[in-house]
Amino acid sequence: MRRCLVLRLGRVPYGPVLAFQRTLHTKRRAQTFPDVVLSLEHEPVITLGRDGSARDLLVPWEELRKRGVEVFEVERGGGATYHGPGQLVLYPILDLRALGIGLREYVWRLEEVMIRTGRAFGAELFRRPGQPGAWHARGKVGFLGVHVRGWVTLHGLAFNVDLNPHGFAWIVPCGVPGLPVVSLQDLVDQELSFAAVEDAALRAFAEVFGVEVVELSGAEVRAWLSPSGLG
Amino acid sequence: MDLTIPDLGEVQEVTFLRWLKGEGEAVEVGEAVAEVEADKAVFVIEAPAAGILQGLCAQEGQRLPPGAKIGEIRPE
Repeated sequence: MRRCLVLRLGRVPYGPVLAFQRTLHTKRRAQTFPDVVLSLEHEPVITLGRDGSARDLLVPWEELRKRGVEVFEVERGGGATYHGPGQLVLYPILDLRALGIGLREYVWRLEEVMIRTGRAFGAELFRRPGQPGAWHARGKVGFLGVHVRGWVTLHGLAFNVDLNPHGFAWIVPCGVPGLPVVSLQDLVDQELSFAAVEDAALRAFAEVFGVEVVELSGAEVRAWLSPSGLG
Repeated sequence: MDLTIPDLGEVQEVTFLRWLKGEGEAVEVGEAVAEVEADKAVFVIEAPAAGILQGLCAQEGQRLPPGAKIGEIRPE
């Protein structure tokens, strides 16, 4: 079975993780690093994908900065989105040719990871044709935005575990004004722990991609993150 | 050599996002020349050969099928 490294980064600001995943992406394209998934949650941040622009910000950029919310323009597909504590983010950096899958299948699998994660806690999530993501009758739970160069992926998926959705009121999410956004916690009776949902998502990832996930320890992650580990 | 929309795997159509290089510019093999998008995934088109870009005809927002010609690379 193919192996895929997993790095659990905990709660981290957006900028350093963006730089880190770009570094890993370059190394993966050069075949000097294996397939890897970064698993994390972000400090509050708004990102604008290739379909988004400052027009999707309903609160001025400067005002957001004053509130401690960063804004990044990034190379992924899709429009504006919000990330914050309580949202699980997975950034798979995978060589799709080595996995033998194309772009559509990759997007389908990211959706499948989120649908199976919801199902593990009793929530019935589904796809909507033409609107990639994971949906519930009450709103959108899972988001995706991807960049592919040299058939190696960058960026990935974001799944609302128990996210304060106020950040979505600052933007036009995914180009859809007033898009209803819900968290898995809103859809189930049991009290969810973030770690349990993260575990379920990584299990779903392993199943859906047919890989054995190999977790790096905290010390190994720190070694990778140190300046000498990954330049 | 023709520059075309690649086969991305079961994708019927892509949206052309932008040129990263301009008409008349020299490119190396593997250099990023354009971006297209399908299903919230941005795909970077890389130069299949070295040369000069010419006849760039894809427009921002245009819907294109795999195999569609978007320009040419003329050997230097």
